[in-house]
Amino acid sequence: MSSFDYLLHGFGIALQPMNLLWALIGSALGTAIGVLPGIGPALTIALLLPVTVSIAPTAAFIMFAGVLYGAMYGGSTTSILINTPGESGSMMTALEGNRMARDGRGAAALATAAIGSFVAGTIATIALTFLAPVVAELAFIFRPADYFALIMLAFCSVAVVMGSSRVRGFIALLLGIGMGTVGIDVMTGQPRLTFGVMGLLNGIELTVVLVSLFAMGEILFVASRYDPGQEVPIKVRGRWMTGEDLRRSWKPWLRGTVLGFPMGVLPGGGSEIPTMLSYTLERKLCEKPEDFGTVGAIEGVAGPEAANNAAAAGVLVPLLTLGLPTSATAAILLAAFQNYGLQPGPNLFTANPDLVWGLIASLYIGNAMLLILNLPLVGMWVRLLSIPKPQLYAGILIFALIGIWGVSGSQIDLIIMVVVGVAGYVMRVYDFPIAPVLIGLILGPMAEYQLRTALLSRQGSAWVLVETPISITFLAVAALTFILPPLIRRLRASS
Amino acid sequence: MQPRPPPRPWWLAAIIVALGAVSVWGASSLPAASRYAGIGPGTVPRLVGWALIGLGIILAVQIARGETFEPQGTENADAALPMNPLAFALALAAAVLPIFALKTLGLPLVAMVSFTLVARSFGSRRLAVDVVSGAILGSLAWFLFDRLGLQLGGFMPFAGLGS
Repeated sequence: MSSFDYLLHGFGIALQPMNLLWALIGSALGTAIGVLPGIGPALTIALLLPVTVSIAPTAAFIMFAGVLYGAMYGGSTTSILINTPGESGSMMTALEGNRMARDGRGAAALATAAIGSFVAGTIATIALTFLAPVVAELAFIFRPADYFALIMLAFCSVAVVMGSSRVRGFIALLLGIGMGTVGIDVMTGQPRLTFGVMGLLNGIELTVVLVSLFAMGEILFVASRYDPGQEVPIKVRGRWMTGEDLRRSWKPWLRGTVLGFPMGVLPGGGSEIPTMLSYTLERKLCEKPEDFGTVGAIEGVAGPEAANNAAAAGVLVPLLTLGLPTSATAAILLAAFQNYGLQPGPNLFTANPDLVWGLIASLYIGNAMLLILNLPLVGMWVRLLSIPKPQLYAGILIFALIGIWGVSGSQIDLIIMVVVGVAGYVMRVYDFPIAPVLIGLILGPMAEYQLRTALLSRQGSAWVLVETPISITFLAVAALTFILPPLIRRLRASS
Repeated sequence: MQPRPPPRPWWLAAIIVALGAVSVWGASSLPAASRYAGIGPGTVPRLVGWALIGLGIILAVQIARGETFEPQGTENADAALPMNPLAFALALAAAVLPIFALKTLGLPLVAMVSFTLVARSFGSRRLAVDVVSGAILGSLAWFLFDRLGLQLGGFMPFAGLGS
């Protein structure tokens, strides 16, 4: 069967009434959390993980996909109407989108964001449909040393790209890897770094760390620096989209997609860089550059929004084909796979085609659903903003408690929540990036396993790590991410 | 008036070095090398530990050179505001309470108190409303997630309610 046949099969699964319902729940939930402050897609999926006890994996992942895409639609709504980008990917949208809304063209800004997200999401999903099986095939020839080199590349790029300082990026990453070593060593059965605490033998759960860092850290940070100024959303005015708007939007949509998708596929690419690049590009290419920064240019909303959505779909390529998460949300999705005893990677495509293709098909459906949910119903989502903040954050704590206590019922996890929550607070105050902790925690044990397997096959000779062209390439690129940025800076300074 | 010198958070570097030292110390009892793999269960914790110590020292050097740390911007928080220690303490108390009370008092009651504490730390003055909403939210969540198969403990274990 070709990718296309598999995709049709996937639609057959995703269009089953129950699965459509899960997609709708996910999309609605995702949009709501995108609009609400304090909770992002990663945290939402982490809090939904307990639900996976009682629903089938395909349904769960269809719902998670809805949350992932929905959160981005919701995030752009608040960026445009109240100038608060909920996540880093919609920062650029807020720049022009909010100006447009102030100028009475809020409806057009929302429309170009939503339609642009739909176009980019759909094109990126098509790219994912045909690229993923190819990458998965390639991955079959990967040896343990190649995997190890790939994870090293992911580590270096994540630590270098995310956050403002490389030192702090690597500290965050190493804290994650360090937490990943706690518990029983899988290869020898020895307890490591448990210091005699029984509750630590099973290791530190990613969910617990993620919920603590995102929910607890955020609550502590916002509480200690709370700004009670009530933001009033700008009324949605103007026509949804004129012919002129459409004419100015379609090229930025496509350019944003082309920028976003490959950046999402690369480890450490994330959504900040493509959205920023797209914004800069559109500003250069715009026929009316005077609109930028004054009344708001529609190109500055269309491009970054498309780039953001395309990047989010791109992140799924390394996750599904190699089991390599490159963002916090992807890390928690990997944890969800592991909860079901599934390991994303090349084998997933052959062992669970229903799940993989049902998930990919549901991305198409989710995108269409979100377009309908968001454009006519935008007023309903904006009303969520009237939930008073003290009660909203208090509610987030309750759900965080349930997410942590409900899974294990262990007091150790509650203690970890407080310790890691305070760490999350400190990291916010002193500007340490948070995603590398999660990537280190989930990929650290994988890197160690691959390293030890590789060395075992050569009686401990380290040469095995640089025996194949694949591993040499990955390690070389990893080294480049280290060396290049300071080199470029030095060159620029001297010129 | 002279501008205040930027704060020097030495303790930050000290904590990183200390965490690294803990990892190295914890790994010291583990075999570093097995006969066949060349490396053993102790290798990675030891490497991570030494790397953290090294990065902690680099961080200390950066701090000595006057590195500035700007709080990350987030919704509803003004990064430029000074820390409000009382609000921080209240929110922290809301997180610490469950460690001691969740097993005996049960989720709904703990949720009620923690909810009220967090709402209060955000400046809410409506005590009665917060207590009631916390209790309702906690009970609803308990019933819902209990149905979904989560092990949340008894409804009010000290009173022998729920299973």
